[in-house]
Amino acid sequence: MTLTFNRQTLPFRTDFLIAGTQCLLATNSHEILQAAAHWRSPANHAAVSSFEMEVIVDPDMDGNSEQPAHFRGNRHLVFGILPPRSFVAYDLLRRRVHAVLSPAAASDRSFWNKLLLPITIGVLGTTIGVVPLHCACLHRHGNGVLVAGVSGAGKSTLATALAHRGFAFISDDWAYVSKTNSGLLAHGLSFPIKLLPDAERFFPELRALTPKSTLNGEVAYELDPTQSSAFDLKMSTHPRNIFFLERVSAGGCRMIPCRAEFVRDFFEQNAERLPDELPEAKALRSNVIQLLSACRSWILRTSENPQRTAAALDAFLLEVNRATA
Amino acid sequence: MQQLDSLVHRDPFDLLRRFIPTPLRAVYRIGSHRVMVQTNDFTLLPALPLEANPNIPAEQTLEWKLIRDMDSSGDLESPTLMTSAAVTVVVMGTGCLLGLDHERRELLGFIGRSIDARTHQEFIVPFLCRMTSEALFAGEVAGPNGQNQESAND
Repeated sequence: MTLTFNRQTLPFRTDFLIAGTQCLLATNSHEILQAAAHWRSPANHAAVSSFEMEVIVDPDMDGNSEQPAHFRGNRHLVFGILPPRSFVAYDLLRRRVHAVLSPAAASDRSFWNKLLLPITIGVLGTTIGVVPLHCACLHRHGNGVLVAGVSGAGKSTLATALAHRGFAFISDDWAYVSKTNSGLLAHGLSFPIKLLPDAERFFPELRALTPKSTLNGEVAYELDPTQSSAFDLKMSTHPRNIFFLERVSAGGCRMIPCRAEFVRDFFEQNAERLPDELPEAKALRSNVIQLLSACRSWILRTSENPQRTAAALDAFLLEVNRATA
Repeated sequence: MQQLDSLVHRDPFDLLRRFIPTPLRAVYRIGSHRVMVQTNDFTLLPALPLEANPNIPAEQTLEWKLIRDMDSSGDLESPTLMTSAAVTVVVMGTGCLLGLDHERRELLGFIGRSIDARTHQEFIVPFLCRMTSEALFAGEVAGPNGQNQESAND
Protein backbone atom coordinates (compact mmCIF):
# COMPACT_ATOMS: atom_id res chain seq x y z
CA MET A 1 0.00 0.00 0.00
CA THR A 2 1.46 3.36 -1.03
CA LEU A 3 0.21 6.63 0.40
CA THR A 4 1.40 9.86 -1.19
CA PHE A 5 1.42 13.14 0.72
CA ASN A 6 0.72 16.09 -1.55
CA ARG A 7 -1.84 18.81 -2.13
CA GLN A 8 -4.12 16.49 -4.06
CA THR A 9 -4.29 13.84 -1.36
CA LEU A 10 -4.56 16.39 1.49
CA PRO A 11 -7.31 18.83 0.52
CA PHE A 12 -8.16 20.21 3.98
CA ARG A 13 -5.89 22.72 5.69
CA THR A 14 -5.86 24.57 8.96
CA ASP A 15 -3.41 25.75 11.59
CA PHE A 16 -3.41 25.87 15.37
CA LEU A 17 -1.18 26.60 18.33
CA ILE A 18 0.15 23.92 20.62
CA ALA A 19 2.78 24.41 23.34
CA GLY A 20 3.47 27.86 21.93
CA THR A 21 4.26 26.59 18.45
CA GLN A 22 2.15 26.72 15.30
CA CYS A 23 1.06 23.50 13.60
CA LEU A 24 0.25 23.81 9.89
CA LEU A 25 -2.07 20.86 9.37
CA ALA A 26 -3.10 19.26 6.08
CA THR A 27 -5.38 16.24 6.00
CA ASN A 28 -7.96 14.32 3.98
CA SER A 29 -10.21 13.87 7.02
CA HIS A 30 -13.03 16.02 8.35
CA GLU A 31 -12.69 14.25 11.68
CA ILE A 32 -9.06 15.32 12.04
CA LEU A 33 -9.98 18.84 11.03
CA GLN A 34 -12.62 18.91 13.75
CA ALA A 35 -10.27 17.40 16.33
CA ALA A 36 -7.73 20.12 15.54
CA ALA A 37 -10.33 22.78 16.30
CA HIS A 38 -9.82 21.93 19.98
CA TRP A 39 -6.44 23.65 19.75
CA ARG A 40 -7.46 26.75 17.80
CA SER A 41 -6.09 29.86 19.51
CA PRO A 42 -6.65 33.58 19.16
CA ALA A 43 -5.15 34.93 15.95
CA ASN A 44 -2.96 37.41 17.81
CA HIS A 45 -1.23 34.69 19.84
CA ALA A 46 2.43 34.67 18.79
CA ALA A 47 4.08 31.32 18.05
CA VAL A 48 7.79 30.79 18.62
CA SER A 49 8.02 28.56 15.54
CA SER A 50 6.00 26.28 13.31
CA PHE A 51 5.91 22.77 11.94
CA GLU A 52 3.99 21.00 9.18
CA MET A 53 1.80 18.00 9.91
CA GLU A 54 0.24 15.97 7.11
CA VAL A 55 -2.28 13.32 8.12
CA ILE A 56 -3.91 10.78 5.84
CA VAL A 57 -6.76 8.71 7.20
CA ASP A 58 -6.77 5.46 5.26
CA PRO A 59 -10.05 3.55 5.30
CA ASP A 60 -8.18 0.33 4.48
CA MET A 61 -6.14 0.42 7.69
CA ASP A 62 -7.35 -2.17 10.15
CA GLY A 63 -7.70 -0.46 13.53
CA ASN A 64 -8.27 -3.70 15.40
CA SER A 65 -4.58 -4.54 15.66
CA GLU A 66 -3.37 -4.68 19.26
CA GLN A 67 0.15 -3.64 18.28
CA PRO A 68 1.88 -1.78 21.13
CA ALA A 69 3.45 1.64 20.63
CA HIS A 70 6.89 1.41 19.05
CA PHE A 71 9.27 4.28 18.28
CA ARG A 72 12.70 4.31 16.68
CA GLY A 73 14.89 7.13 15.41
CA ASN A 74 18.01 7.51 13.35
CA ARG A 75 19.71 10.80 12.67
CA HIS A 76 16.92 13.26 11.80
CA LEU A 77 14.20 10.70 11.09
CA VAL A 78 11.91 9.19 13.72
CA PHE A 79 9.41 6.41 13.00
CA GLY A 80 6.46 5.52 15.19
CA ILE A 81 3.72 2.93 15.35
CA LEU A 82 0.81 3.81 17.61
CA PRO A 83 -2.26 1.82 18.51
CA PRO A 84 -4.85 1.55 17.05
CA ARG A 85 -2.71 0.86 13.95
CA SER A 86 -1.34 4.22 12.97
CA PHE A 87 2.04 5.15 11.55
CA VAL A 88 3.86 8.41 12.01
CA ALA A 89 7.16 9.67 10.62
CA TYR A 90 9.01 12.74 11.87
CA ASP A 91 11.54 14.67 9.82
CA LEU A 92 13.33 16.76 12.43
CA LEU A 93 15.47 18.68 9.96
CA ARG A 94 12.53 19.90 7.90
CA ARG A 95 10.10 20.05 10.87
CA ARG A 96 7.56 17.88 9.07
CA VAL A 97 5.32 15.11 10.32
CA HIS A 98 3.59 12.53 8.14
CA ALA A 99 0.99 10.25 9.65
CA VAL A 100 -1.31 7.53 8.38
CA LEU A 101 -4.18 6.83 10.72
CA SER A 102 -6.72 4.07 10.81
CA PRO A 103 -10.34 5.25 10.86
CA ALA A 104 -10.50 4.01 14.47
CA ALA A 105 -7.67 6.34 15.48
CA ALA A 106 -9.08 9.26 13.48
CA SER A 107 -12.46 9.01 15.17
CA ASP A 108 -10.94 8.92 18.66
CA ARG A 109 -10.42 12.49 19.90
CA SER A 110 -8.32 11.29 22.82
CA PHE A 111 -5.92 9.61 20.36
CA TRP A 112 -5.37 12.95 18.66
CA ASN A 113 -5.36 15.21 21.72
CA LYS A 114 -3.74 13.00 24.35
CA LEU A 115 -1.46 10.77 22.33
CA LEU A 116 -0.45 11.87 18.85
CA LEU A 117 -0.11 15.62 19.42
CA PRO A 118 1.72 15.43 22.78
CA ILE A 119 4.08 12.78 21.39
CA THR A 120 4.64 14.94 18.32
CA ILE A 121 5.63 17.92 20.46
CA GLY A 122 7.88 15.66 22.52
CA VAL A 123 9.62 14.21 19.43
CA LEU A 124 10.00 17.47 17.50
CA GLY A 125 10.87 19.24 20.75
CA THR A 126 13.86 21.50 20.49
CA THR A 127 13.72 21.53 16.67
CA ILE A 128 10.55 23.65 16.99
CA GLY A 129 11.83 25.76 19.86
CA VAL A 130 10.17 23.76 22.63
CA VAL A 131 12.35 21.98 25.17
CA PRO A 132 10.66 18.95 26.75
CA LEU A 133 11.64 18.63 30.42
CA HIS A 134 10.70 15.67 32.60
CA CYS A 135 8.94 17.77 35.25
CA ALA A 136 5.58 18.33 36.82
CA CYS A 137 4.46 21.91 36.30
CA LEU A 138 2.11 23.95 38.48
CA HIS A 139 1.32 27.58 39.21
CA ARG A 140 0.95 29.30 42.58
CA HIS A 141 0.92 32.93 43.71
CA GLY A 142 1.56 34.13 40.16
CA ASN A 143 4.65 31.98 39.65
CA GLY A 144 5.37 28.75 37.83
CA VAL A 145 6.62 25.81 39.89
CA LEU A 146 8.52 22.92 38.31
CA VAL A 147 8.89 19.66 40.21
CA ALA A 148 11.72 17.60 38.76
CA GLY A 149 13.06 14.25 39.82
CA VAL A 150 14.07 10.88 38.54
CA SER A 151 11.39 8.44 37.38
CA GLY A 152 9.59 7.00 40.39
CA ALA A 153 10.44 9.91 42.70
CA GLY A 154 6.75 10.76 43.06
CA LYS A 155 6.32 13.79 40.81
CA SER A 156 2.80 12.85 39.73
CA THR A 157 1.52 12.08 43.24
CA LEU A 158 3.04 15.31 44.59
CA ALA A 159 1.59 17.30 41.65
CA THR A 160 -1.84 15.80 42.35
CA ALA A 161 -1.55 16.66 46.05
CA LEU A 162 -0.46 20.20 45.18
CA ALA A 163 -3.41 20.57 42.80
CA HIS A 164 -5.71 19.47 45.63
CA ARG A 165 -4.22 22.29 47.74
CA GLY A 166 -5.17 24.89 45.14
CA PHE A 167 -2.11 25.01 42.90
CA ALA A 168 -3.15 25.51 39.28
CA PHE A 169 -2.28 22.31 37.41
CA ILE A 170 -0.37 22.36 34.12
CA SER A 171 1.32 18.96 33.85
CA ASP A 172 2.29 16.01 36.04
CA ASP A 173 5.02 14.54 33.87
CA TRP A 174 6.38 16.68 31.05
CA ALA A 175 6.71 20.45 30.76
CA TYR A 176 7.45 21.97 27.34
CA VAL A 177 9.55 25.08 27.83
CA SER A 178 10.04 27.76 25.18
CA LYS A 179 11.72 31.16 25.06
CA THR A 180 9.37 34.07 24.56
CA ASN A 181 9.69 37.85 24.66
CA SER A 182 8.43 37.73 28.23
CA GLY A 183 10.90 35.07 29.36
CA LEU A 184 10.64 31.31 29.61
CA LEU A 185 7.18 29.82 29.28
CA ALA A 186 6.36 26.27 30.39
CA HIS A 187 3.44 24.57 28.67
CA GLY A 188 1.50 21.46 29.53
CA LEU A 189 -0.43 19.15 27.26
CA SER A 190 -3.52 17.31 28.31
CA PHE A 191 -2.05 13.94 29.10
CA PRO A 192 -4.02 12.12 31.79
CA ILE A 193 -2.19 12.06 35.13
CA LYS A 194 -0.61 8.66 35.58
CA LEU A 195 -0.59 7.42 39.17
CA LEU A 196 0.86 4.05 40.15
CA PRO A 197 -1.53 1.64 41.89
CA ASP A 198 -0.11 2.36 45.37
CA ALA A 199 -1.25 6.01 44.99
CA GLU A 200 -4.73 4.91 46.06
CA ARG A 201 -3.40 5.00 49.65
CA PHE A 202 -3.18 8.78 49.32
CA PHE A 203 -6.05 9.42 46.92
CA PRO A 204 -8.96 7.13 47.85
CA GLU A 205 -11.01 8.49 44.95
CA LEU A 206 -8.77 6.42 42.64
CA ARG A 207 -10.54 3.28 43.87
CA ALA A 208 -13.43 4.19 41.60
CA LEU A 209 -11.06 3.80 38.60
CA THR A 210 -9.40 0.73 37.12
CA PRO A 211 -5.63 0.77 36.53
CA LYS A 212 -4.70 0.42 32.86
CA SER A 213 -1.62 -0.60 30.94
CA THR A 214 -0.08 2.66 29.74
CA LEU A 215 1.94 3.44 26.62
CA ASN A 216 5.24 2.64 28.32
CA GLY A 217 3.97 -0.67 29.66
CA GLU A 218 3.38 0.45 33.24
CA VAL A 219 0.10 -0.36 34.94
CA ALA A 220 -1.29 2.88 36.35
CA TYR A 221 -4.41 4.80 37.15
CA GLU A 222 -5.13 7.44 34.52
CA LEU A 223 -6.77 10.42 36.14
CA ASP A 224 -8.26 12.94 33.74
CA PRO A 225 -7.88 16.36 35.38
CA THR A 226 -10.44 17.85 32.99
CA GLN A 227 -13.08 15.58 34.52
CA SER A 228 -12.40 16.58 38.14
CA SER A 229 -13.50 19.72 39.93
CA ALA A 230 -10.46 19.35 42.20
CA PHE A 231 -8.19 20.65 39.44
CA ASP A 232 -7.77 24.28 38.42
CA LEU A 233 -6.28 23.78 34.96
CA LYS A 234 -3.89 26.18 33.28
CA MET A 235 -2.14 25.87 29.91
CA SER A 236 1.17 27.58 30.66
CA THR A 237 3.18 29.51 33.23
CA HIS A 238 6.45 31.36 33.64
CA PRO A 239 8.68 29.05 35.69
CA ARG A 240 10.23 30.82 38.68
CA ASN A 241 10.75 28.04 41.24
CA ILE A 242 12.19 24.56 40.75
CA PHE A 243 12.10 21.70 43.23
CA PHE A 244 14.12 18.52 42.77
CA LEU A 245 12.16 15.82 44.53
CA GLU A 246 14.07 13.16 46.46
CA ARG A 247 12.40 10.46 48.50
CA VAL A 248 14.19 9.49 51.72
CA SER A 249 13.18 7.05 54.46
CA ALA A 250 13.26 9.46 57.42
CA GLY A 251 13.83 13.07 58.40
CA GLY A 252 10.58 14.79 57.41
CA CYS A 253 10.51 17.37 54.64
CA ARG A 254 13.42 19.72 53.96
CA MET A 255 14.18 22.28 51.25
CA ILE A 256 17.88 22.56 50.48
CA PRO A 257 18.92 25.43 48.19
CA CYS A 258 20.65 24.39 44.94
CA ARG A 259 23.27 26.14 42.91
CA ALA A 260 22.71 27.01 39.26
CA GLU A 261 25.26 24.37 38.25
CA PHE A 262 23.16 21.67 39.91
CA VAL A 263 20.07 22.75 37.95
CA ARG A 264 21.97 22.89 34.70
CA ASP A 265 23.67 19.53 35.21
CA PHE A 266 20.44 17.82 36.24
CA PHE A 267 18.53 18.87 33.13
CA GLU A 268 21.43 18.35 30.75
CA GLN A 269 22.18 14.90 32.11
CA ASN A 270 18.55 13.77 32.13
CA ALA A 271 17.76 15.02 28.63
CA GLU A 272 17.37 12.77 25.63
CA ARG A 273 20.53 12.56 23.56
CA LEU A 274 20.21 14.46 20.29
CA PRO A 275 22.00 13.51 17.06
CA ASP A 276 24.77 15.58 15.51
CA GLU A 277 22.44 16.42 12.63
CA LEU A 278 20.57 18.80 14.97
CA PRO A 279 23.18 21.28 16.25
CA GLU A 280 20.70 24.16 16.52
CA ALA A 281 18.36 22.07 18.62
CA LYS A 282 21.20 21.15 20.96
CA ALA A 283 22.21 24.79 21.31
CA LEU A 284 18.64 25.93 21.96
CA ARG A 285 18.17 23.32 24.67
CA SER A 286 21.39 24.33 26.38
CA ASN A 287 20.31 27.96 26.23
CA VAL A 288 16.91 27.24 27.77
CA ILE A 289 18.49 25.12 30.49
CA GLN A 290 20.97 27.90 31.19
CA LEU A 291 18.08 30.36 31.60
CA LEU A 292 16.23 27.89 33.82
CA SER A 293 19.23 27.59 36.06
CA ALA A 294 18.65 31.20 37.09
CA CYS A 295 15.33 30.21 38.74
CA ARG A 296 15.11 29.81 42.51
CA SER A 297 15.70 26.12 43.12
CA TRP A 298 15.82 23.64 45.96
CA ILE A 299 16.22 19.95 46.56
CA LEU A 300 13.00 18.83 48.18
CA ARG A 301 14.03 15.90 50.36
CA THR A 302 11.05 14.23 51.93
CA SER A 303 10.03 11.16 53.86
CA GLU A 304 6.45 12.42 54.21
CA ASN A 305 3.37 11.39 52.30
CA PRO A 306 2.35 13.50 49.26
CA GLN A 307 -0.20 15.57 51.17
CA ARG A 308 2.23 16.54 53.93
CA THR A 309 4.96 17.21 51.42
CA ALA A 310 2.56 19.41 49.43
CA ALA A 311 1.59 21.30 52.59
CA ALA A 312 5.25 21.88 53.47
CA LEU A 313 6.06 23.05 49.95
CA ASP A 314 3.05 25.36 49.89
CA ALA A 315 4.01 26.96 53.22
CA PHE A 316 7.62 27.25 52.09
CA LEU A 317 6.68 29.02 48.85
CA LEU A 318 4.50 31.44 50.78
CA GLU A 319 7.50 32.33 52.96
CA VAL A 320 9.74 32.70 49.91
CA ASN A 321 7.23 35.01 48.24
CA ARG A 322 6.90 37.12 51.40
CA ALA A 323 10.66 37.37 51.72
CA THR A 324 11.09 38.44 48.10
CA ALA A 325 8.03 40.71 47.87
CA MET B 1 33.56 -10.55 19.93
CA GLN B 2 33.12 -7.37 17.93
CA GLN B 3 29.92 -8.47 16.22
CA LEU B 4 28.23 -9.50 19.44
CA ASP B 5 29.19 -6.25 21.19
CA SER B 6 27.74 -4.22 18.37
CA LEU B 7 24.34 -5.80 18.89
CA VAL B 8 24.16 -4.86 22.56
CA HIS B 9 23.04 -1.31 23.25
CA ARG B 10 21.89 -0.09 26.63
CA ASP B 11 21.47 3.66 27.01
CA PRO B 12 18.55 4.95 29.08
CA PHE B 13 18.81 8.34 27.39
CA ASP B 14 18.62 6.88 23.90
CA LEU B 15 15.00 5.79 23.90
CA LEU B 16 14.81 5.88 20.11
CA ARG B 17 17.97 3.73 19.67
CA ARG B 18 19.57 6.49 17.62
CA PHE B 19 23.05 5.85 18.90
CA ILE B 20 23.45 2.13 18.30
CA PRO B 21 26.99 1.90 16.93
CA THR B 22 27.34 0.63 13.36
CA PRO B 23 30.99 -0.41 13.11
CA LEU B 24 30.61 -2.79 10.16
CA ARG B 25 31.02 -1.04 6.83
CA ALA B 26 31.16 -2.02 3.19
CA VAL B 27 30.99 -0.18 -0.12
CA TYR B 28 29.08 -1.48 -3.10
CA ARG B 29 29.14 -0.46 -6.73
CA ILE B 30 25.82 -0.57 -8.50
CA GLY B 31 26.23 0.48 -12.11
CA SER B 32 27.76 3.94 -12.06
CA HIS B 33 26.68 4.57 -8.50
CA ARG B 34 28.11 3.79 -5.09
CA VAL B 35 26.22 2.59 -2.03
CA MET B 36 28.00 2.84 1.32
CA VAL B 37 26.51 0.51 3.90
CA GLN B 38 27.05 0.62 7.63
CA THR B 39 25.49 -1.75 10.11
CA ASN B 40 25.86 -3.40 13.51
CA ASP B 41 25.23 -6.92 12.16
CA PHE B 42 27.17 -8.49 9.31
CA THR B 43 24.13 -10.56 8.28
CA LEU B 44 22.51 -7.29 7.23
CA LEU B 45 25.26 -6.50 4.74
CA PRO B 46 23.60 -6.97 1.34
CA ALA B 47 24.69 -9.68 -1.07
CA LEU B 48 25.44 -7.15 -3.79
CA PRO B 49 28.62 -6.60 -5.88
CA LEU B 50 31.28 -4.92 -3.74
CA GLU B 51 33.04 -1.79 -4.93
CA ALA B 52 36.10 -3.17 -6.69
CA ASN B 53 37.93 0.11 -7.21
CA PRO B 54 37.06 3.00 -4.87
CA ASN B 55 39.24 5.29 -6.96
CA ILE B 56 36.76 5.24 -9.82
CA PRO B 57 34.44 8.19 -9.26
CA ALA B 58 30.75 7.44 -8.83
CA GLU B 59 27.98 9.48 -10.39
CA GLN B 60 26.08 9.46 -7.14
CA THR B 61 26.63 8.00 -3.70
CA LEU B 62 23.94 6.84 -1.36
CA GLU B 63 24.32 5.68 2.23
CA TRP B 64 22.44 2.85 3.87
CA LYS B 65 22.50 2.64 7.66
CA LEU B 66 20.94 -0.65 8.71
CA ILE B 67 20.48 -1.41 12.38
CA ARG B 68 19.74 -4.82 13.80
CA ASP B 69 17.24 -3.94 16.50
CA MET B 70 17.58 -6.62 19.15
CA ASP B 71 14.81 -5.04 21.24
CA SER B 72 12.23 -5.48 18.50
CA SER B 73 10.72 -8.93 18.17
CA GLY B 74 7.95 -8.18 15.67
CA ASP B 75 7.49 -10.10 12.44
CA LEU B 76 7.28 -8.57 8.99
CA GLU B 77 3.90 -7.26 7.95
CA SER B 78 2.77 -6.14 4.52
CA PRO B 79 4.51 -2.85 3.71
CA THR B 80 2.91 0.55 3.99
CA LEU B 81 4.78 3.24 2.01
CA MET B 82 4.46 6.87 2.98
CA THR B 83 5.93 9.08 0.30
CA SER B 84 6.47 12.81 0.13
CA ALA B 85 8.77 15.00 -1.91
CA ALA B 86 11.68 14.70 0.52
CA VAL B 87 11.22 11.43 2.37
CA THR B 88 9.86 7.93 1.80
CA VAL B 89 9.06 5.84 4.86
CA VAL B 90 8.22 2.14 4.76
CA VAL B 91 6.60 0.47 7.74
CA MET B 92 6.47 -3.34 7.81
CA GLY B 93 5.38 -3.60 11.42
CA THR B 94 7.93 -3.41 14.22
CA GLY B 95 10.08 -5.95 12.37
CA CYS B 96 11.21 -3.45 9.74
CA LEU B 97 11.14 0.33 9.59
CA LEU B 98 12.85 2.13 6.71
CA GLY B 99 13.25 5.79 5.91
CA LEU B 100 14.82 7.25 2.80
CA ASP B 101 15.78 10.92 2.63
CA HIS B 102 15.88 11.67 -1.08
CA GLU B 103 17.78 14.95 -0.76
CA ARG B 104 20.38 13.74 1.72
CA ARG B 105 20.66 10.35 -0.01
CA GLU B 106 20.42 8.45 3.24
CA LEU B 107 18.46 5.27 3.75
CA LEU B 108 18.03 4.48 7.44
CA GLY B 109 16.52 1.26 8.68
CA PHE B 110 15.75 -0.85 11.73
CA ILE B 111 15.51 -4.60 11.23
CA GLY B 112 14.06 -6.60 14.12
CA ARG B 113 15.74 -9.61 15.66
CA SER B 114 13.20 -12.05 14.25
CA ILE B 115 14.08 -11.19 10.66
CA ASP B 116 16.58 -13.86 9.63
CA ALA B 117 19.40 -13.33 7.16
CA ARG B 118 17.59 -15.11 4.34
CA THR B 119 14.45 -13.02 4.72
CA HIS B 120 16.62 -9.93 4.84
CA GLN B 121 18.50 -10.82 1.65
CA GLU B 122 15.52 -12.09 -0.29
CA PHE B 123 12.89 -9.60 0.76
CA ILE B 124 14.29 -6.50 2.45
CA VAL B 125 17.42 -5.97 0.34
CA PRO B 126 15.41 -5.94 -2.92
CA PHE B 127 13.12 -3.44 -1.23
CA LEU B 128 16.10 -1.28 -0.32
CA CYS B 129 17.37 -1.53 -3.89
CA ARG B 130 14.01 -0.48 -5.23
CA MET B 131 13.83 2.50 -2.90
CA THR B 132 17.36 3.44 -3.88
CA SER B 133 16.48 3.02 -7.51
CA GLU B 134 13.45 5.25 -7.25
CA ALA B 135 15.40 7.87 -5.36
CA LEU B 136 18.48 8.02 -7.51
CA PHE B 137 18.76 5.83 -10.47
CA ALA B 138 15.29 5.70 -12.03
CA GLY B 139 15.30 1.96 -12.47
CA GLU B 140 19.00 1.44 -13.21
CA VAL B 141 19.83 -0.43 -10.01
CA ALA B 142 20.43 -4.11 -10.26
CA GLY B 143 19.42 -6.36 -7.40
CA PRO B 144 21.33 -9.11 -5.63
CA ASN B 145 21.41 -11.36 -8.69
CA GLY B 146 22.42 -8.68 -11.10
CA GLN B 147 18.87 -8.28 -12.37
CA ASN B 148 16.34 -5.57 -11.79
CA GLN B 149 14.48 -6.54 -8.68
CA GLU B 150 10.83 -6.29 -7.88
CA SER B 151 9.60 -6.22 -4.36
CA ALA B 152 8.84 -9.68 -3.02
CA ASN B 153 5.41 -8.49 -2.02
CA ASP B 154 4.41 -7.54 -5.54
